[in-house]
Amino acid sequence: MRLLLAIIIFLSAIAGNTARAAHTEADLILPALAYPGDTVLVGVRLKMAPGWHTYWKNPGAAGQATEIKWQLPPGVTASEIQWPLPQKLPPADITTYGYENEVVLLVSLKLQKNVKDSPLHLAAKVSWLECNESCIPASAEIQGDLNLGAASGNAINAANENLLALWLAKVPTANTVASAQAWWEKPANGDTRILDLQWLGDAAGADFFPAADDNFEIQGATEKISAPDGMIRLRKLVKKFSGEWPKEIKGVFLTASTASETKVSVGDTPTTAAAAAIAPPQKIEPLWRMLIYAFIGGLILNIMPCVLPVIALKILGFVNESKSSPRHVRTLGLVYALGVLFSFLVLAAIVIGVKAAGHKAGWGMQFGNPVFLVCLVTLVMLVAMNLFGIFEVTLAGGAMNVASGLSTKSGMIGAFFNGVLATALATPCTAPFLSIALGFAFAKSAAVIVLIFGTVAAGLASPYVLLSWNPAWLKFLPKPGAWMEKFKMAMAFPMLLTVVWLFNLAAESYGDRVLWLGVFLVTMAMALWIYGEFVQRGRSKKVLATIVVLALLAAGYGYALEGQLRWREPLKPMKTNGLAHDIDGIAWQAWSPEALMQARATGRPVLVDFTADWCLTCQVNKRTSIEVQSVRDKIKSLNVITLLADYTHFPDVITSELNHFNRAGVPLVLVYPQNPAANAIVLPEVLTPNVVLNALDRAVN
Amino acid sequence: MKKIIALFAIVFLTGAVFGIEIGKPAPDFSGTDINGKTIRLSDYKGKIVVLESYNSDCPFCKNHYQTSAAQELQKTMADKGVVWLMVNSVGPKNPSHRTPAEAQTEWTNLKIAATAWIDDTTGTIGHLYDMKTTPHMFVIAADGTLAYDGAMDNNPKPFGDPRKAKNYVSAAVDELLAGKAVTISATKPYGCSVHYAN
Repeated sequence: MRLLLAIIIFLSAIAGNTARAAHTEADLILPALAYPGDTVLVGVRLKMAPGWHTYWKNPGAAGQATEIKWQLPPGVTASEIQWPLPQKLPPADITTYGYENEVVLLVSLKLQKNVKDSPLHLAAKVSWLECNESCIPASAEIQGDLNLGAASGNAINAANENLLALWLAKVPTANTVASAQAWWEKPANGDTRILDLQWLGDAAGADFFPAADDNFEIQGATEKISAPDGMIRLRKLVKKFSGEWPKEIKGVFLTASTASETKVSVGDTPTTAAAAAIAPPQKIEPLWRMLIYAFIGGLILNIMPCVLPVIALKILGFVNESKSSPRHVRTLGLVYALGVLFSFLVLAAIVIGVKAAGHKAGWGMQFGNPVFLVCLVTLVMLVAMNLFGIFEVTLAGGAMNVASGLSTKSGMIGAFFNGVLATALATPCTAPFLSIALGFAFAKSAAVIVLIFGTVAAGLASPYVLLSWNPAWLKFLPKPGAWMEKFKMAMAFPMLLTVVWLFNLAAESYGDRVLWLGVFLVTMAMALWIYGEFVQRGRSKKVLATIVVLALLAAGYGYALEGQLRWREPLKPMKTNGLAHDIDGIAWQAWSPEALMQARATGRPVLVDFTADWCLTCQVNKRTSIEVQSVRDKIKSLNVITLLADYTHFPDVITSELNHFNRAGVPLVLVYPQNPAANAIVLPEVLTPNVVLNALDRAVN
Repeated sequence: MKKIIALFAIVFLTGAVFGIEIGKPAPDFSGTDINGKTIRLSDYKGKIVVLESYNSDCPFCKNHYQTSAAQELQKTMADKGVVWLMVNSVGPKNPSHRTPAEAQTEWTNLKIAATAWIDDTTGTIGHLYDMKTTPHMFVIAADGTLAYDGAMDNNPKPFGDPRKAKNYVSAAVDELLAGKAVTISATKPYGCSVHYAN
């Protein structure tokens, strides 16, 4: 249509367009056709010498944006610069955004309808900062004549049109990204705060290039975190200089194939759609597979270190059972399973309750509760004393001890109790498979939690149910006899070891006061001995003995536990971060989302160990596969930053991080590759040094 | 030697991981100046200390020194009893690196009036304070807490007369001397990136 218009304008590129500074050449790129009253696109091309770069409109942590000052004839006005998408330039901890080799900065010129003078003389002063290992400010005067009408210069400018079109295609579109959301992951930590961004697209190549702002800086390092299907979710660190935390941010939302510049408001929490998507796994795992994982995980729990002391009890139980009628053995097996199932359902109920109350729930969280620890250590001590035979447990009117109770006709309660104990002690361990299933369950509805927990219970109890169902297999065990008393006593020692372990856990919550927990345990042991020796087996003065027992227990509880230990008032969880200060060991730093981002920004690989004092699997991993010489050497030679996330006191921030990785508890060991954009390598629950070494090698390639 | 490297690594990591915060104690450091003298931040407790990440080849720094605005400010600060420590963290392979001898010549030629120029070739102090640009300025109050972190002034350009710009450092120092709270305690530092060795 325009060709039919009265005036046809042509322009010519003239030789005087190019100006040269030290390492950068600037020239003006003019279009082939322009019309009065129209807006034409012109370009300012900067050609940088190899190794040199100039900057984007937001230069990032350093540098300076290129400026264009136009000297235009009357009737011509210039737009802001339309910036093609820049590159992120290293180093990672001082990320800048800029261009290498060549860039064409685009400007729209609005020509008034009354512009008649031909040619239009266009001139501009372009100022930029060019940097390689050092920086030089430079500027150039560029100019060109835009002809009105004539037919000359067409051929030259066809190439210019192509160039302009090429660079225009690299300018991020101004489309709103409808799916884009931004929210603060948590409250500010001083003048830094973590921002989460989410939008629709393929995570490969995804990034966010922020617009510059005087009041805050969205830093260059980007961490990709797990997102719902088809979504991208990034984590950025924001540093505030002045004013309030921004309510709105602007920048380029980038994927491998698209770049859109848009504003998005920043919420305090993700909106409902995003919130619903916080925990679901990246891949939609079918429930049946999770149930299989849960069962296998429960099965494997039997051989995890936490449950080993209970295994001793169970072996004893089976030896005793072998003399009973097969039907009774079966019943006991089922009762044991029922005890396990009951305990797991209690755990599931607690998890559902905690979640319903708006808190975060995790596997093994009760071990972060000192009151629970005191109860459990007392219980295990009782079992140990019972195995030593210093007292017997009276159930349903008949005297019997726990172990024999497992096998006698009225041993139902014993078997049930054994199942409860096995579960209580099993929770500090997450076995392989179990963590996947639990991670899945914790994010789901109450029904799924109950189902998964029930399946874990079935897995844990299944070997004993099977054994009790096939009494023939029990024949491999020795016949009951006098050796059982000795075996029973021998088994008291692993129980005592458990006491020591739990005592050690409690020590952290009570400080020096923990001494009185020990005093209480010994007082209790003495009371039990007097009870067994003079009340249960004694002939006279039973009343006096009973009074002494009660007095000892009352004194132990009243003075030691209540008075001195003040067991219901544990110390505030100390801000210990579990950092080891072993001079030969790994130099652990405390983990936090900020620390992780800053560590990744240095461009070094990062190893993160999510651990807890009560997590035996974690402690075993540490001894066998992390704090070992080969791994220490590798960490030194690859210059790996090591972060330790201590889950002992169950901080929410770690729970949510575990949820990001679809885990309900520790252990979780991650290796972040050198490339700050790459995803974390998730290591298996049970480690070997080679697994860690291989992951570290992959992190630098 | 190994222990020293480990120490450096720890110092570096602490800086990188924990960062520094306005109102919190400024982390102590020890360095050697271009005359071989040991400089410790803690030696200046009770005085206001200005830290400047410095590289005179960077046009943003150069503008402050070629206009003599920086030297004048340093003199004014010295008169007020304020300590001014320049920190040069440019790595040895960078063309802008200065050996102590070159630095002494530059000190004389530019008539630098700071308290000391710390040779931070290893980048230890630079990383400890998370110095991003040259110039990147810090003001540490007499009680050792960090009072200002950011740009020299509100002219983020390698040209123009710095005397005409609003200087955040002298504003912060004056407020501290007057016993007032610092109004602008953080700005976005501008300049060239610090050319660290690592």
